[in-house]
Amino acid sequence: MKILTCPLNGPRPVSEFFYWGEVRPMPNPAAASDDEWADYVFNRNGAPGVKREWWCHTPSNTWFIAERDTEKDVVLKTYFYTGEE
Amino acid sequence: MISALAVSPVAEIATLLAPAAQPAAVARLGIADVSATARYGCKGPGTIAWLENLGLPVPPQPNSWLPLDGGGLIARLGFTEFLIEGPDALIAPLASAPRAAGVYPVLRQDAALILGGARLDELLRQTCNVNFRPLDPATRPVVLTSMVGVGVTVIPELRNGQPFVRVWCDGTYGHYLWETLLGIAVELGGGNVAAHHFN
Repeated sequence: MKILTCPLNGPRPVSEFFYWGEVRPMPNPAAASDDEWADYVFNRNGAPGVKREWWCHTPSNTWFIAERDTEKDVVLKTYFYTGEE
Repeated sequence: MISALAVSPVAEIATLLAPAAQPAAVARLGIADVSATARYGCKGPGTIAWLENLGLPVPPQPNSWLPLDGGGLIARLGFTEFLIEGPDALIAPLASAPRAAGVYPVLRQDAALILGGARLDELLRQTCNVNFRPLDPATRPVVLTSMVGVGVTVIPELRNGQPFVRVWCDGTYGHYLWETLLGIAVELGGGNVAAHHFN
């Protein structure tokens, strides 16, 4: 059983979580070109590596960030989102 | 949002054991439906100050609870969401009080169950991924987890020296959760009992 650690509720089986994709800053829709906007809407980065991802602990609806190495399938750390640096 | 249900989500399937059989079932593993208890839910950044202004104690830690004077409890679910449950005299004024800025109602039409008895841990190990044994009921923990696939809020306690849990889930899952837990309780020598046996 895979275990993921919610920053609020602690270690739980991954079946209690929902994955919502990589953290991707949205370009300014008023300033972005059509190509930039289409890239944001339609394209995803499938290359393996360390990624920041949105996850949700569904019983408590707690959203947080997991840094996950998708090549090694290892979660490096989890923490609450505090805005883009 | 006032949430005293007129009819429990499991009313039509909750059939009590014969009165003479209930004390023995409670000692092993009793399950009771307490969904009709009045409860109130609220959340938001202004909730803590609003509850304190109403004279309610606020659990200092996320995922913890406190008992209320006159019966009932207040549970802190995460950082700024609260579940308050108790007698109508407590809940009705709370539900009708003007809400402050940053306080949002949460509809609570839960199925609420209580389970207790010597074999409770066996049921929890079959149905839930959280190990309840290391938890200290004296610290008043609240556990939000999944039980037989249903998102639940659980408060573990000790009652009369026996392990005891309160369980809340979305009322639409109540039928399934009740049937599943009752089936296991019966297998473990328990059954559906009246809630007063746990007092």
